Amino acid sequence: MAAQDFNFLLATDSYKITHYKQYPPNVSKVYSYFECRHKKGGQFNEVVFFGLQYLLKKYLAGPVVTEEKIQEAKVFYQMHFKRSVFDEEGWRKVLEKYDGRLPIRIKAVPEGKIIPRGNVLFTVENTDPDFFWLTNYIETMLVQMWYPITVATISREFKKILAKHLKATSGSLEGLDLKLHDFGYRGVSSQESAALGGAAHLVNFCSTDTVAGVLMAQRYYACPMAGFSIPAAEHSTIISWGRSREKDAFECLLDQFPSGPVAVVSDSYDIFKACKHIWGDKLKERVMERSEDSALIIRPDSGDPAQTLIEVIKILEKCFGCSQNSVGYKVLPSYLRIIQGDGIDLNSINEILEKLSDEGWSAENVFFGCGSALLQKINRDTLNCAFKCSYVETNGKGMDVYKQPVTDPSKGSKRGRLCLRRNSDGFIETVESGAGKPQEDMLVTVFENGTILQEYTLDEIRKAAQLWEEDVSPSQHNKEDDTNLEIHQKHIMNGMH
Amino acid sequence: MTSKSPYPLVGQSTPLGPAHSDSVTHPPQRRGLVESPYGGEGTTELTAARDSSHVKGKMEQHTGAAEFNILLATDSYKVTHYKQYPPNTSKVYSYFECREKKTDPTKLRKVKYDKTVFYGLQYILQRYLKGQVVTPEKIQEAKEVYREHFQDDVFNEKGWNYILEKYNGHLPIEIKAVPEGSVIPRGNVLFTVESTDPECYWLTNWVETILVQSWYPITVATNSREQKKILAKYLMETSGSLEGLEYKLHDFGYRGVSSQETAGIGASAHLVNFKGTDTVAGIGVIKKYYGTKDPVPGFSVPAAEHSTITAWGKDHEKDAFEHIIKQFPSVPVSIVSDSYDIYNACEKIWGEDLRSLIEMRSADAPLVVRPDSGNPLDTVLKVLEILGRKFPLVENSKGYKVLPPYIRVIQGDGVDINTLQEIVEGMKEHRWSIENIAFGSGGALLQKLTRDLLNCSFKCSYVVTNGLGVNVFKDPVADPNKRSKKGRLSLHRTPSGDFVTLEEGKGDLEEYGEDLLHTVFRNGKIVKTYTFDDVRDNAKLKESELEDLLL
Repeated sequence: MAAQDFNFLLATDSYKITHYKQYPPNVSKVYSYFECRHKKGGQFNEVVFFGLQYLLKKYLAGPVVTEEKIQEAKVFYQMHFKRSVFDEEGWRKVLEKYDGRLPIRIKAVPEGKIIPRGNVLFTVENTDPDFFWLTNYIETMLVQMWYPITVATISREFKKILAKHLKATSGSLEGLDLKLHDFGYRGVSSQESAALGGAAHLVNFCSTDTVAGVLMAQRYYACPMAGFSIPAAEHSTIISWGRSREKDAFECLLDQFPSGPVAVVSDSYDIFKACKHIWGDKLKERVMERSEDSALIIRPDSGDPAQTLIEVIKILEKCFGCSQNSVGYKVLPSYLRIIQGDGIDLNSINEILEKLSDEGWSAENVFFGCGSALLQKINRDTLNCAFKCSYVETNGKGMDVYKQPVTDPSKGSKRGRLCLRRNSDGFIETVESGAGKPQEDMLVTVFENGTILQEYTLDEIRKAAQLWEEDVSPSQHNKEDDTNLEIHQKHIMNGMH
Repeated sequence: MTSKSPYPLVGQSTPLGPAHSDSVTHPPQRRGLVESPYGGEGTTELTAARDSSHVKGKMEQHTGAAEFNILLATDSYKVTHYKQYPPNTSKVYSYFECREKKTDPTKLRKVKYDKTVFYGLQYILQRYLKGQVVTPEKIQEAKEVYREHFQDDVFNEKGWNYILEKYNGHLPIEIKAVPEGSVIPRGNVLFTVESTDPECYWLTNWVETILVQSWYPITVATNSREQKKILAKYLMETSGSLEGLEYKLHDFGYRGVSSQETAGIGASAHLVNFKGTDTVAGIGVIKKYYGTKDPVPGFSVPAAEHSTITAWGKDHEKDAFEHIIKQFPSVPVSIVSDSYDIYNACEKIWGEDLRSLIEMRSADAPLVVRPDSGNPLDTVLKVLEILGRKFPLVENSKGYKVLPPYIRVIQGDGVDINTLQEIVEGMKEHRWSIENIAFGSGGALLQKLTRDLLNCSFKCSYVVTNGLGVNVFKDPVADPNKRSKKGRLSLHRTPSGDFVTLEEGKGDLEEYGEDLLHTVFRNGKIVKTYTFDDVRDNAKLKESELEDLLL
């Protein structure tokens, strides 16, 4: 049931208050849909559907209209528009006829599903002809779905890159779901966004410092503990020892956390000297005492990410040595790892991993942390998320509707009632104009008249969103022969055959 | 449509084999690339309509602001920091600034953002930090979560119990800040945080995560104010006055932000500078956490969206337009006119079919035509050109063209601070007064921003260990921009009016005058608040700024 203090009537764009007066007379149904529009040359071809269940549970389920909320909205909009435009009667009817529950049906793709861009992801329609104006009243709130969808999609793209390199340079995918740690809590725009974005990352990974995301997965997706973390230093805990005592600060960390992994930020003054003189010399014995389960993880945090990382790993190799793994790449001793958490995005992570493998280093040596590129540096245009009306019924007659601006053909919208199906060639496609067969429809009714009809657990979502074989192949399309050839060639280039 | 094999990648123990290429309608049992270590359960089907509430109720009971737990509102690693400071540390003192970035002169950014508007701390204090924020239940909850999260007992239960017992759950920290709405040059301290109880030295940076999120309202308010400067300059130059400036940039950002809470914060930050908004949530934030003398700090007008036009069918766009302007005869009404062809709509529908209806409208109730696609500048100019042919233009006192007062244009697609500058410049070149237009901005105003735009950072600068104060700083060799300030800080104005941050406690000396940082929070109590009117007054465009703009 939605939170009591939240007034759903005040959670929409102002202009929507005036829309009930604008639809054609005798309109009895408005049907709209959400998609991530396909854009030519776009970076991402497929999206992870995630987050609707949160919105439904938090804001839409149960009785969301009360007389007090109607009065509050009425007074508010009177002042906001400086005149009365608010549809008090309409809302009172929701209260009287439906006990304040929304006469709306939402059909959606199951959460976690991977869907090619340009397909319908969910549809919204009013279930009672009196409330034709309600469908698009909730657009504003539902369009915020762009955020968890986009975070989950970007995070999964990170996972593809990591999987590809990890497989190629270690021969296995062990530890993949801990490779990208969420550092984004402070860099997002609010606590709620942190929770939503943090949870979306956890669809693909199990590694996070954004505690709010873990709580959201617990509360809305029935996952008791979706993400893990380890003790780690920050600059304040190092510099508070004073510049001349960085070694003491480092040693304290090793002492305090002897039995699990510990990450230590080491660039407060000079990352290279810290690696060479402190970790690699003064504290060398202490570092070597540690084990694979209690690794020291060194964290650089400034400079060009790729260059810094390469230089750090070379210094550590000199001090601690390294071994070769089964596919011929170098690995630092198992008690020693690196985490790069500064300047990481989809481009830089690929560049870093390429450079590492070019220099013969396995991706096993490194973890990554990502903050704003994961949770904040994205917007509704990243995946061209749009919500459009495609069908109305007026005077009892259905009509397919659409927009098609001459000034931008990519903003054209779909027409009619929509169905999402996998066609006989195995491709997912959207059938327009009500021509889809109900038994083929992948859209599931998740919400009807105030009640949530279908729930998903994070475990189910994770399974649905897991990587597929072709995701890890270097080639973007699934011609398996080319793929294997490319992997084969890459190994030869690295001198391993 | 992307071609996709319906087979998932097999588990990690299997080497990469050729992908299966045969297609089936329903993929068989899926095994993923990485098996989740946590067992899955079947999908819960809640068929019983209203009686399922107990299930949801259980999941819901922790949600809502009332259940916010400050012990769980920090980066995980901070849970482990109390063990990491030097022994006998009795105070940690940190500060927040928007770092001045020594930019590469070859990569000149169009907007420099050399001053920032300080806004939004009061919201965080009021909503999350004041009062009794620690309870036995919250300690217990945090203890359990962190045990699972770290797979270890690292949580500082004792430390939090101390706060619960000694301070009845109020946070023993002091926060000093510049007044909200202040416009401060980059590179100066904006607020400081310090522990007030030697036992709670670790608390200062525990709250870093939540306090650093003030980057967002600061950045929205700053970016919105820079756009106000652009609009002020061109409005003055093309009309001779600043009339209507506060309504020139309307907030369209509600759907494009990442959450309801962000919408509230971001929209309130825009309202520091403007009065037009469709993001209703912002007004709630202002009323609840700041307060204004006006009943509402932001306004809107009736307006169409594509659905209310396209629902009439493609052949009935004119009917839709006519219906809507008749519905709102005595107020401004904005109508999106690009559903099919913006130019035809302006030329034929507005300019001919409905012309007489529009001419009947007044300056208080204009039709506002809204294009919503295409290159923003080209589209605006072409729309103005068409409307200028169809309706009688006048020339204002500055010699710029103005449409009759009953018709205006609003551009709300593709507007950011750079395109805004281009559009107003292009209009000026073509002799159009900025009186003719208003702008709407969504994603660029509230979402396309990051903490790096203004280099917001929070750093420890002073600690007391063994009773001895030490000035501390970081100074990474690979990036001098990341160097932090040293010691206790204060903010002052020099006799010439410049702001200066004094480091190492030097501001204690009387010769520097009053510290502009004021204590706003101490031991769980908010000791100084600002109304939204104060904020707006502090942030308003100064005469001197207007003079500089018009040079």
